[in-house]
Amino acid sequence: MIALKDSRVKAAWLQEMGLVVAHEGDGEVYKLTLRAPEIARRAVAGQFVEVRPVPGHSASVDPLLRRPFSLCEIRPEAGEISLIYRVVGRGTRALAAIAPGTELDLMGPLGHSFPDPKVGSGRLVLIGGGLGIPPMAAAARRAVATGREAVAILGARSQRYLAGAAEVAESGVAVVTVTDDGSVGARGFVTQPLEAMLAEGSVGEVWACGPEVMLQAVKERCVRAGVPCFVSVERFMACGFGACLGCTVPKAGAAGYLKTCQDGPVFAAEEVELGGF
Amino acid sequence: MASKLEVSLFGRTFKNPVWPASGCFGYGREFADHVDLAQIGAICVKGTSPEPWLGNAGTRVVETPGGMLNAIGLQNPGVDHFLNVDWPWLRSIGATVIVNIVGRTVEEYVEVARRLEGSGVAGVELNISCPNVKEGGLAFGTSIKGATEVTAAVRQATSLPLIVKLSPNVTNIVDFALAVESAGADAVSVINTLLGMSIDIRKKKPILGNIFGGLSGPGIKPVALRMVWQVAGAVKIPVIGIGGIMNGEDAVEFLMAGASAVQVGTACFVNPRAPLQIADEIAAFMDENGYSQVSELIGAARPQTGAEGNLPKLGETVRLQEVSTGKAEGLSYAPGGAGAPAPGTAPAQATPPKKATGPTADALRQFLKDSDRA
Repeated sequence: MIALKDSRVKAAWLQEMGLVVAHEGDGEVYKLTLRAPEIARRAVAGQFVEVRPVPGHSASVDPLLRRPFSLCEIRPEAGEISLIYRVVGRGTRALAAIAPGTELDLMGPLGHSFPDPKVGSGRLVLIGGGLGIPPMAAAARRAVATGREAVAILGARSQRYLAGAAEVAESGVAVVTVTDDGSVGARGFVTQPLEAMLAEGSVGEVWACGPEVMLQAVKERCVRAGVPCFVSVERFMACGFGACLGCTVPKAGAAGYLKTCQDGPVFAAEEVELGGF
Repeated sequence: MASKLEVSLFGRTFKNPVWPASGCFGYGREFADHVDLAQIGAICVKGTSPEPWLGNAGTRVVETPGGMLNAIGLQNPGVDHFLNVDWPWLRSIGATVIVNIVGRTVEEYVEVARRLEGSGVAGVELNISCPNVKEGGLAFGTSIKGATEVTAAVRQATSLPLIVKLSPNVTNIVDFALAVESAGADAVSVINTLLGMSIDIRKKKPILGNIFGGLSGPGIKPVALRMVWQVAGAVKIPVIGIGGIMNGEDAVEFLMAGASAVQVGTACFVNPRAPLQIADEIAAFMDENGYSQVSELIGAARPQTGAEGNLPKLGETVRLQEVSTGKAEGLSYAPGGAGAPAPGTAPAQATPPKKATGPTADALRQFLKDSDRA
């Protein structure tokens, strides 16, 4: 694989109260929009925030820990950020009950961003699978803003699980959609359009976020094609800022671990051993 | 006059009694942009071994109601990295540091302690209670013999203040507190995490890669507080209270139970400023309630006369005699039973390694008379 200069950004993070300006969902998947001007000013696509899933100044200790979410949209001009999540446990269930007008206690922007789209050359392929789609919206917006040619391949089980696809399309990149059941786009997996694009030889770089089996499949194809690949991974984490050592990913080709929160969540694919989560 | 939050333990004064707990604050770096590390009473840094340890594979943390499980496996860069990289930086910014030390064998604990001798750190805390590594930790922390042996060996290897962090995963923590006191500990930290687990019912398998992990957070606070109360009623050395402290009121509870200082762990993950914020909240509580020194809080909830229902039972004190009269110079543990000497019988004095702080008839009488150390 061709190594790129590491142009990922890691900003100084801060704690900020974010005002919920919109919060919409269908009982399972929600979009949360927050006014958090300082985080919005500092954040770069690929970075995440840690959200206490209880009203801002609440002393409640259940749910106890913050929940990490990659940013879907970053609008410094409006001082707003958004994120899309699925209700999977007690934390997200509690978060789903938060009404607009409430303040939420945030930490961010955390972790490393995707690379600088200006650094690489050739077509940038953005791949999002399921809840890996929303972070690709911020990535697509940045690619478009810097004039890098980009295309998105978005995949999900079915139409219902394509949350974030509209935000990706809004950025102006071309979008190819696939679903497991064929309810939207072609029936199949993200690797199929990726393979076709790699075969054309026009792909300069691939960024991906989604289930780890998907990331592994994308990585394998990029390695074979000699195309740089960056993946955004997900882990349980207690803190989000490097202290707990709970969110480790095994290093590829060496003993030891990297921290998802600090060394990632965006890694050069060849740095990490995928498939363990 | 000393600041009202100042506390004194093992002959050393600390700015305040709220210290970040080992394993929850790294070596301070991740917090330095958000907290003035020099204002923290003492930073208990990550468990440190002679060589770097990589830690456990698989999922390492998961939240539980009111708490979290961790199975990190003591990942750390080793004592040389601490001494060459972290400590010079921590010292340069004026931080007070206690080094939590771990090893797979008694010799490894001793080695870390030796390397730290003369470094200028404020003390060492023996981690004999990590539930996540097979050797190096719980093996020592759940046997009286092991706890005594490692404490005595490190005691001989260092002149630094020696704290022993006790495991709650034992039948009677008081026995362990007395054993390590007898072996030369200057203080005990009570408690480390409680052993627990969590299962993913959809994948039909344990969530943690290590299967078991250490439970921490506010859910364990009542258990920790009870153990601090019991230990503080039995030992003469200071007790450092740990377990689910999230705010100043929680901390005051531990102080009133008899802790001379507290450590804050899980709270640091949610709020990096937790240790200083909790110290401020203790100060506010003191102002509101007319306390002028933290020492007035320590043990304040304890009965002023002994032999109360909530105090450790007499039988525990009997077992303490057995520990100190054990065969190999106080290193063997004879389980309690019918053959135990009657309470009040002066125990034969064992020969403790180095320091003669072993339990004595005097200690027994003192305990029966008045368990309030404040």
